[in-house]
Amino acid sequence: MILEALEAVFILLTALMIVYLIRHYVFTLTVLRRAKNAQKVDVVANAEFEPTVSILIPARDEEKVIGRLLQRMVELTYPKDKLQVIVIDDGSSDSTGRIADEYSSRYGFIEVLHREKRDGGKGKAAAMNAGFKHSTGEIILCFDADYYPQKDIVEKLAKEFADPNVGAVQGRVVVLNEPQNIVTRLVALERIGGYRVDQEARNDLGLIAQFGGTVGGFRRSLLESLGGWDESTLAEDTDLTFRVYLAGYKVHYVGDAECYEEAVDNWKAYRQQRYRWARGHMQCCFKHSLKVLKSKNLRVKEKIDGLLLLNVYFMPVIVLVSFIIGVPLIFFVSSKLVGALWFSMPISLYSFVGNFAPFFEVGIGAYLDGRTRIQWLIPLLIFTFCYNIPICTKAFLDLLVSKILRKDHNIWVKTSHLGNGNSYIMH
Amino acid sequence: MIPNLTSIIAILILGTTTLILIMLLPALLELKKPKDGGPRLITDNISEVQIQIMRMIPIASIEDEQKFDSALIQPLAKIIAILPSLEV
Repeated sequence: MILEALEAVFILLTALMIVYLIRHYVFTLTVLRRAKNAQKVDVVANAEFEPTVSILIPARDEEKVIGRLLQRMVELTYPKDKLQVIVIDDGSSDSTGRIADEYSSRYGFIEVLHREKRDGGKGKAAAMNAGFKHSTGEIILCFDADYYPQKDIVEKLAKEFADPNVGAVQGRVVVLNEPQNIVTRLVALERIGGYRVDQEARNDLGLIAQFGGTVGGFRRSLLESLGGWDESTLAEDTDLTFRVYLAGYKVHYVGDAECYEEAVDNWKAYRQQRYRWARGHMQCCFKHSLKVLKSKNLRVKEKIDGLLLLNVYFMPVIVLVSFIIGVPLIFFVSSKLVGALWFSMPISLYSFVGNFAPFFEVGIGAYLDGRTRIQWLIPLLIFTFCYNIPICTKAFLDLLVSKILRKDHNIWVKTSHLGNGNSYIMH
Repeated sequence: MIPNLTSIIAILILGTTTLILIMLLPALLELKKPKDGGPRLITDNISEVQIQIMRMIPIASIEDEQKFDSALIQPLAKIIAILPSLEV
């Protein structure tokens, strides 16, 4: 009886993995087909559309990188009379505020919002809300302090808002310090799969393109009606993505709007960042799943993709559970041995080389970027796969315990940036 | 006819090790002597029209074009290299 129940769970979980696997194959084939039919390019949106734009830059102890970004803000090609840059100095204890003040004194469009130490450090969402109250632009864009965008990125992102159905936009993130070490290289691979293939395909297929919290932004009127960023979740970006869709608007992914980021460069920072993403994403899953199902503003395919997206950080947990259940099943259910082995095949295929961006997605993304040599590193994704299993499982268990005890207290562990990407910037 | 357990285990271990080595060998080589040109260079100041033109070039043909260019440029470079010696 117990074995039969376990077998049923095993088959259910495997089926779920197969669904994700098919989803990623569809995404990969979509971007490949798009690349082949490159003549069918999107019509450029109204080039004359130049709304006022406020750029929010939350910064807490970012003295190593903030100057680089502010210099880039000065170099942006967007008309400065339509641009407002707000640095939210979130209670920094280093010279972040002083550097920002220097830029502000030299350039009128750069403003600094200093938050007291007792107000700061409560997470990115709180800092963004403080900046949002201070902003005046029709469009609100966000950049993290360690980012380094193209000079014309504001034009590329803002033009999307000419379409009244677009509530938010998202640009592409490219890892700047990629050659630094194995961690940064693997993060770069994940980013290639995630943005070059995953986001682009979701956008092309009219599914749920995701706002990633940075290198993107919102229509002001929409953000006001949504009440800004939710400070109670660790994945405020995913939360906003779903609130945008539930409100009847779309998120547009703009692959041409590229921005460098300084990726985490050690396994501890990787773990802390992924734990935050996983736990935050799971919070959003509990918060939005039912709303997505009931929504009248979402089409069926958006609902399906939305649910798959909300549950994506459960996948490493599911893989772990499947392996734990699958092994005894192979040994103890002799009559179903062949069936069990057969069902373990898709698990191996799906999970061995990637949870969030499987190997073929990363490989095709690298190919489309014209980078063949980086594909040699793809087998190493097995390490991030293995590492994500305990990270996501812990995030799930912690969240479960906090829900049971009704103490869903978020601790925001900020990613430190040491300015290691500075040496890779070429002028 | 039936192989004993020890040889099965030995074959399994050897096979698995070989498979892992083969799988990871390219990655280890690339880590040891990186030949990748990364990070991806993002471009500035490219007009929307230029981007659209770039998109229209099928990706597979870019490498062919480069080969064609080098085949054309190399003889030209040799000719140009001789030119200064023609000056009196």
